Amino acid sequence: MDTSHLSEHAGTASALFASVFVVATSTMRTMIPLRLFGILSNIVFIASAIPSRSYLVIVVQSLVLVLNSYRLHQMLQLVRDVKKSVNSDLSLEWLKPFMTERKCAAGDVLFYKDEKAEDMFYIVSGRFRLVESGIEFPIGAIVGEFGMLSPSNARTQTLECVEPGVILSVSYSKVEELYVQNPAFGFYFLRLTSARLFQNIEKLEQRLAQQTAAAPISAAPNPA
Amino acid sequence: MINRTQKLGSFLSSIRYLLADFIGEEDAAPPFLPEGLPEAVVSEVSDGIHLLMDYQGSSYAQLYVDRVRRFVGRRGVDDNMLGEIARLMALRMSYEDPIRIAQQKLAEFERAAGDPRAPSAEIMRLKFRLDELIGALPTAVAQPVLDVLEWIGWTHRPVAIRFSTKTPWGVRRLRIEASLRRWRRFSGRFKTEHAWVERWLHMISRSLEKQPRAASAIVQTATMIKGYGDPYRQGLADWHAIINGLAKPTFDGVLPLADLAGAIAEARAAAMPDPRQVALKRCIAEIRTRALASANVAAE
Repeated sequence: MDTSHLSEHAGTASALFASVFVVATSTMRTMIPLRLFGILSNIVFIASAIPSRSYLVIVVQSLVLVLNSYRLHQMLQLVRDVKKSVNSDLSLEWLKPFMTERKCAAGDVLFYKDEKAEDMFYIVSGRFRLVESGIEFPIGAIVGEFGMLSPSNARTQTLECVEPGVILSVSYSKVEELYVQNPAFGFYFLRLTSARLFQNIEKLEQRLAQQTAAAPISAAPNPA
Repeated sequence: MINRTQKLGSFLSSIRYLLADFIGEEDAAPPFLPEGLPEAVVSEVSDGIHLLMDYQGSSYAQLYVDRVRRFVGRRGVDDNMLGEIARLMALRMSYEDPIRIAQQKLAEFERAAGDPRAPSAEIMRLKFRLDELIGALPTAVAQPVLDVLEWIGWTHRPVAIRFSTKTPWGVRRLRIEASLRRWRRFSGRFKTEHAWVERWLHMISRSLEKQPRAASAIVQTATMIKGYGDPYRQGLADWHAIINGLAKPTFDGVLPLADLAGAIAEARAAAMPDPRQVALKRCIAEIRTRALASANVAAE
């Protein structure tokens, strides 16, 4: 019995079924569901191409399947890392995979005071100092994370390389892209930056309390 | 009906926003003058805004306004100095690259078209360095080409470019070259110029804090850099030599130079059109030695 026409009809029906997934993928608003539906469409397309032995479709869809799966994995890992960071050391190390490496020579300036802030930096090696305050950053420090959320968007100090080293940088637009693509990331990112801000306020309060305690009695304000 | 028109307008505006980098800025409204700008400086800043609107667009003019704002009402900055900062900054922000020269030539041609007394069109033949020419293109395109040129050893080769409005083809060519302005801000040259302006402003700021008497001299160092090709490179190299050798160490507190303004004037006088900067470097070294020696004498 000739079954070729049956497989042909089955192929057409499954291609139609797969097209429904393509349409569904296009309606997704955020990245994770979009990737998930993309993966489902790839699987259905591959399954529909097997009976008709459309090798080209199988190869192309397999490649896209791998790409979609990898991107989904990246996105889920990112959310997991940010969430973990919020609950532990508040570090921004999870940003490293999205950063680009740059070598700095002594005397190079990464940004100037009052300049419009556009990137944040992670110090990998070398010595970096804020020119105006003389503060040096330790290796592993993140610089410029608040500039992205500050209304003025301007640098408050100048950062200079004192000893040659390597930094990683990521543009605010890249972080914004991740934020817009993924609401879960956005939520945890906000919690993380707020937590870092509160941590800074706490440190300042402690320093103020120490200074107040160390101040001589004569410096205390006179009662009215 | 109105609702549908509004929706279509909103859709088109979204598309325009998406493609803004490619089709250029549609919003031609110039930025507002900075708040608190003294009356005496208004004309300089307005000229700067119009120059940069023509040069690049409204967001670039906005960057200029933001930079001017940093010095408005600042201690040690009088109207005269603010005017000079605004004037020189507008000139440096509208640096001369082949795109700018094409823009200027086209503007001349358009002015002459409506004025019968205007001088007849002429052919300009200007010499650029090859890296300068390629550097005006977006980095993604320019970098591989520059790498190849570096490998061949042609980076500094002079190239003569013709800017002509004598023939329709010449005008068409100028229009194409001038239209490249929308990709200018993705070029390596744009990043270099951006960093230079920021460094110059930073040096003015530091001078106002550490040695206010030298601030005017620092402002005027911007006149060292002009034009294109070799004179431009020479001016830029001389500027960095003076700033790195005299101004920055003074502000960092490692060079006890009491009269920075005088030292800058002396070094500028010694700068010659010499790529090796022999006279300039010798002069800077002498000034440094003198300053350190007099500080030692004072300490004893």
